Amino acid sequence: MATVNWRTINIDALDPDSPANFDLSSLSPAVQPVSAADVQSLAGQIRQLLRGGDSEGALQGALENPPYGGDEKAKEVHLATVIEILQSIRQADMSPILSRIYSAPGGSEALDVLMKYIYKGMAQSNTSAASTSRNLTPQATGFSQIHSRGGGEGGGQAMSVLLSWHEKLVEIAGPGSIVRVMADRRTV
Amino acid sequence: MSQSLRPYLQCVRSSLTAALSLANFASQASERHNVPEIEAASSPEVLLNPLTVSRNENEKVLIEPSINSVRISIKIKQADEIENILVHKFTRFLTQRAEAFFILRRKPVKGYDISFLITNFHTEEMLKHKLVDFIIQFMEEVDKEISEMKLFLNARARFVAESFLTPVSHGWDTHSHEMIADGHSLTE
Amino acid sequence: MAPPEVNHLFHHPIADHSFSADRQTLAVARENNVDLFERSGSKFQLKDELTGHDKTVTGVDIAPISGKIVTCSQDRNAYVWEPSPEGWKPTLVLLRINRAATCVRWAPSETKFAVGSGARLVPVCYFEEEDNWWVSKHIKKPIRSTITSVAWHPNSVLMAAGSTDGHARVLSAFVKGVDARPEPSAWGERLPFNTVCGEFLNNTAGWIHSVAFSPSGNALAFAAHDSTLTVVYPSAPEQPPKAVVSVSTQVLPFMSLLWSSESEIIAAGYNCEAYRLQGSEQGWQLAGSLESKGRPGVQDQREESALNMFRQMDLKGKVTDDTKLKTVHQNTINTIRVYEESGGNVTKVSSTGVDGRVAIWAL
Repeated sequence: MATVNWRTINIDALDPDSPANFDLSSLSPAVQPVSAADVQSLAGQIRQLLRGGDSEGALQGALENPPYGGDEKAKEVHLATVIEILQSIRQADMSPILSRIYSAPGGSEALDVLMKYIYKGMAQSNTSAASTSRNLTPQATGFSQIHSRGGGEGGGQAMSVLLSWHEKLVEIAGPGSIVRVMADRRTV
Repeated sequence: MSQSLRPYLQCVRSSLTAALSLANFASQASERHNVPEIEAASSPEVLLNPLTVSRNENEKVLIEPSINSVRISIKIKQADEIENILVHKFTRFLTQRAEAFFILRRKPVKGYDISFLITNFHTEEMLKHKLVDFIIQFMEEVDKEISEMKLFLNARARFVAESFLTPVSHGWDTHSHEMIADGHSLTE
Repeated sequence: MAPPEVNHLFHHPIADHSFSADRQTLAVARENNVDLFERSGSKFQLKDELTGHDKTVTGVDIAPISGKIVTCSQDRNAYVWEPSPEGWKPTLVLLRINRAATCVRWAPSETKFAVGSGARLVPVCYFEEEDNWWVSKHIKKPIRSTITSVAWHPNSVLMAAGSTDGHARVLSAFVKGVDARPEPSAWGERLPFNTVCGEFLNNTAGWIHSVAFSPSGNALAFAAHDSTLTVVYPSAPEQPPKAVVSVSTQVLPFMSLLWSSESEIIAAGYNCEAYRLQGSEQGWQLAGSLESKGRPGVQDQREESALNMFRQMDLKGKVTDDTKLKTVHQNTINTIRVYEESGGNVTKVSSTGVDGRVAIWAL
């Protein structure tokens, strides 16, 4: 027992009644478990739509079936699907598509889901891009002028797509949608 | 550069506006205390999902909201080691004077260069949209500042190197000692 | 629509406010004190200060008939203030809580009041004639986090409590000897103390900022920190509700709401303006803002040079650099209350916010 530093024990964590042990699962309504295989097959269907040129239908399909109940793997697969759709849509088509989805029944929910994916996309590809590019650039030496400031750094292109989607989405769904991304315990 | 800077700042702006919806909230964990919940983290239900806004792998903002406080962490663009040093010196200068800046956190969150902590007392005392403006302006200025410092540093280095090498090509002259001293001050 | 009557009282946040029944006295919570303002013409004059709390006052409520004022604070105490020839006389309430008190409301019967607290319980307080003080009974059972708001049913027995655990609950606060047996309603028939008549959670599960019963008491509305407003229509005791209508708004969350009639709710919050929502069991929607857009003196924007405009857009991602908001309130609205009623419908509401302003709006 000599190894345990009793001064640093967090006694709140040991008390089942303390506020620190609030059961967060009581905040999320029951979600259906989704297996990674289901998500994969859904991704296949959505890609089919995308290849058929129906990017709006693909987006709608992807946003209506967020894998809230899936594991990390399933969520990652679906994120990749959504990002792919977002990248395939031209800038000029963004606003019209968004306003059509918004006016459809359940539209504000779909846009909340999209907002979650945009934030997740920005948080996600960040970590993965950072780890891969670190391997690619062997060293950055002191006075190197190779990296010109403001150039298209790694992941910059994908980010700028997400950023312009974000801008268009806020115009339509308002800040309320961002608030719901923060509040909602059902993560994508 | 402003091509992709504008959507990035716009995204940070709307995310911050949504996150800065703060209220006075007394601690549930300790009696008669009122602490920033995002730092205390003693009640998980009053913490919201963190948001990441990124422009590319080198520039991102992490927004961690809670019921009475928001922690905003900024990763400043650093393309090479010189910029690393400049950013480190600059943020250190600021954080050492944190009490004069009200919303500045003394220590940045891991993985970021500088952090702000905004509580409900700040949003009560100051205008919320002006706080958002301040963060945006800071992000914009700090980039410019670092760029300027780097240019200045490079120009100075070039001048020093030139003067230092002049005697080699043209023989010794009386100024050389001063120049060497200058060269040393650069590497501190 | 007539412009709102706006008074800027001071530069401090107003956590809560309450008008007396004759609308001549205004009580506002200001830091550790409660300020009493007297109306003189179109202005409010500071008349009295209720001092006694030693932490931020979070709630104040004036009983419409008896004129007693109840206040509560983060120092874990509540006081009932009664007018006497020497001024306002406080009586300490035995809350028996060990965390901050967050809100307080008189029951319509004025024989008791409920206090929300950070101790995960709701003390329901009533006057004990024998001992000559206010005592409390605790509603404890399903509450898992801080109570942020309480509201009373017109029958003074049922109470709604919103909490940071994301749930809005309808609870019985029946105190034997104080209350008469209530008429059975859609919420429940037999209502011993601490009966849970309903527990509601949004899909998006933000914490609750405000709860309110409709004028008839047959519907409950709550606003949460996910920018939603939910209205619940109960069907029968022990049955799932007839309808739960949730409106996901585009604006920032609402801090406070009130029913102006059975089919209209006024809500205000972080957007610094009050909104009107209309609907019924079939559905609710945001019907617009109470701010009249064409108010003089707000629309005139300065002409700016094109260079400056583009520079602003480029640097800050916005066009003009404006310090003043276009809304009446310059910061979050904390409380919105009924100011005037006629024929069962609310005709005027008052709002106060973090900016220290009090505004009175005609509906």
